[in-house]
Amino acid sequence: MKKKVLIIGGLIAISPVLFSFCGFYVSKADGTLKNKTSQVILVRDGNKNVITMYNDFKGDTKDFAMVVPVPVVLKKENIKVVDQSIFQKLNDYSAPRLVEYWDQNPCYEYESMKKSAAADKSLNEVVVTSAYGIKRSVRSVTVEAKYIIGEYDILILSAKESSGLKDWLNENGYKIPANAEEVLDPYIKSNLKFFVVKVNEKEKQKLNNNFLRPIQISFTSPKFMLPIRLGMANADGDQDLIVYAFTRKGRIECTNYRNTSIETGKNIPLFVQKNFNAFYGNLFTQQWKNEDKSVSFLEYAWNVTPINQMKCDPCVGNPPTEQDLVQSGVWWLNGKDWSDYSDIDNDEPDDGNRNVHFTRLHFRYNRKSFAQDLMFQVTPNTENFQARYIITHPANGDFSCDAGKKYLQELRQRRKKELQELTRLTGTDINNWQEDAMAKNDEATNTDIQYATLIPEYKHDVENKSSAPTGIILLSAAVLGAAGLMRWKGLV
Amino acid sequence: MQLTAFFKDARYFQIIFQSVFLSYGIFFLHWDNETWLYATYFITSLFTQFVCEWVFGKKDVPVWQRYKRGIPSVLISSFGLSLLLKTNYVWVAVFAAVVSILSKYIIRIKGKHVFNPSALGITAAVLLTGNAWISPGQWGSGAVILFGVLSLGFIVTTRVQKLDVSLAFLGTFAALLYTRQIIYLGWPMDYFIQSISTGSLLLFSFFMITDPRTTPDHSIARMIWSAVVAAVAFYLATFKFLNGAPIFVLVMAQPLVPLLDILFKARKFAWTSSKKYTQQEERFLQTIYSRSVM
Repeated sequence: MKKKVLIIGGLIAISPVLFSFCGFYVSKADGTLKNKTSQVILVRDGNKNVITMYNDFKGDTKDFAMVVPVPVVLKKENIKVVDQSIFQKLNDYSAPRLVEYWDQNPCYEYESMKKSAAADKSLNEVVVTSAYGIKRSVRSVTVEAKYIIGEYDILILSAKESSGLKDWLNENGYKIPANAEEVLDPYIKSNLKFFVVKVNEKEKQKLNNNFLRPIQISFTSPKFMLPIRLGMANADGDQDLIVYAFTRKGRIECTNYRNTSIETGKNIPLFVQKNFNAFYGNLFTQQWKNEDKSVSFLEYAWNVTPINQMKCDPCVGNPPTEQDLVQSGVWWLNGKDWSDYSDIDNDEPDDGNRNVHFTRLHFRYNRKSFAQDLMFQVTPNTENFQARYIITHPANGDFSCDAGKKYLQELRQRRKKELQELTRLTGTDINNWQEDAMAKNDEATNTDIQYATLIPEYKHDVENKSSAPTGIILLSAAVLGAAGLMRWKGLV
Repeated sequence: MQLTAFFKDARYFQIIFQSVFLSYGIFFLHWDNETWLYATYFITSLFTQFVCEWVFGKKDVPVWQRYKRGIPSVLISSFGLSLLLKTNYVWVAVFAAVVSILSKYIIRIKGKHVFNPSALGITAAVLLTGNAWISPGQWGSGAVILFGVLSLGFIVTTRVQKLDVSLAFLGTFAALLYTRQIIYLGWPMDYFIQSISTGSLLLFSFFMITDPRTTPDHSIARMIWSAVVAAVAFYLATFKFLNGAPIFVLVMAQPLVPLLDILFKARKFAWTSSKKYTQQEERFLQTIYSRSVM
């Protein structure tokens, strides 16, 4: 019987049949988070790489299979399974965050209260299926190695031509998307091997858990990339990918797509707190559209070296411990060098530096906007970054003093600005948020400054305003440039 | 004379185009948090130029006058650094700018400086400090049309005679990439288009390798030289995964230029135009082009 296959292109990709199960883009109530979010941990130093792939497969494990192109034939000791919780920890820690601040009533002397709370963005599932029943090898495909690791049966294939590989996979029960050949051929010619995984039912039963653990592979290769193209072979929709990267030197960045940071440090209305996931989902989608889609978004970058105390402000989750980092594949913390971690030649001397820089990148890709696999480089950029949004609780009490009256006026302006920021960041109409704004009792007791009062006023303002700030900026730049030129002319 | 000189001097157009690229980056690609970096490049370069002119310049003309003449070239070098080199540290930016400008004065063979100032500054900063990097992906695909139009505009308006350098470089590089990606590996066309349309590559082809003072004088030598730069850069980028390969290769290839100039005897670089210059203009242009274009 022919079953379905999951191809993972460095990550998790999905066979076409699968969409009939989960449907396209099941979105939250008003959010637009994709239900196809893959997660991968990349650890890179010199030419050494550790890649951990999150496996969020739900369903009958008999139907699971994945194919990952890898640059070398992996040895058994280069493949292991790791604890699934590591992904949750990394996600919780690096996710976009909401910070709360409390205003003080200028008429009283309040003790300043500062509390940080955070709502993290939960990642939705990647669902994938496949099936098995390995038959003997077909022409031009060589089974380079065969291992049982944890609950997985792993094969490493090399091929001479794509049609051979395609036939082999088909004959062995993997249903390859029809146009996968366009990608398989270049991979084979680039001398990539194929890492093929299915679940070993016997081993799985011994484990007594109902999920599949992440697979971690390590290898030495100058290529620092994620082969996402295979995953797009037949998926014409958008897929989200979160990359958690650890290096010794600094941030990683994409070399063949534009890098940009997600907008951060914005003051947003208090009521967003209840629906932060939807807010961030909308914000991401909006920025992704504005930036022409073929973009790598930075969501977090920090030095997370275990001795480094200050790791975020505020922290959404607990910072990854040394153990978590080692689990993620940061081998240089292990007290061991690379040659202990695997038997690959240790080609570069270890300088004993225990620095760990954490980068979180977020991609939303589709075939049209992402023609190439993701290529990365490690940069010496050590600047910290976090996606952080601020809500401010109003002060309460008696505002009859002069400063108090001034405060109320300022608060009113501030809240209007927050509404403006909200619609700009999320690209949504203010009406979509009206329910949120009305539903909860506003913390501001004075009706004048409640969001419910300000929203109609804000709408009125928007209708009467025609704004073209970028146009004005550009025009003035052009005028200034021309003026400058005239000066230069004078210089000659 | 001033107006004609202005229109004939490619450096002014180059400054306009580079400032458009930088404005595009700042206003559309959110490079606005890096303005401190650009300011550092410009201020350091202008200051270094002044000191160098004071110390090394010919003493026959007052220092201010000499300095003023060099300003466009300094601006071009500073734009070159701003558009390509990234760092977190002021000292690295200062180092890159000082190396760029100083190299024009102290590394000279037969009155011609050897290295393209910004290419050398970038290379020195990346390789020696370890705290600077090149972001090949910083332009994105949206910039390509802008680049295409403006580069073309640059060529048409200035009729730069060294266009052959750009074409030989870009042609060789593209042909090799095409052979590798489309013919050999079999990637679809959009894969190749993405590789070839990076802003950094176009910026390099039209504004960096074209520097008339650091390319061979003989036209055949020049084209061969630039094709070789392209071939080596292709090899390093494709098989050694080196980012910013063309810039590093250019720096390595520049010491060959004096050698090629000896092997291929040619008229020294002079700015030709459909219109004949007056003697005064000729002298003026000669002075200008004793300094670099970039």
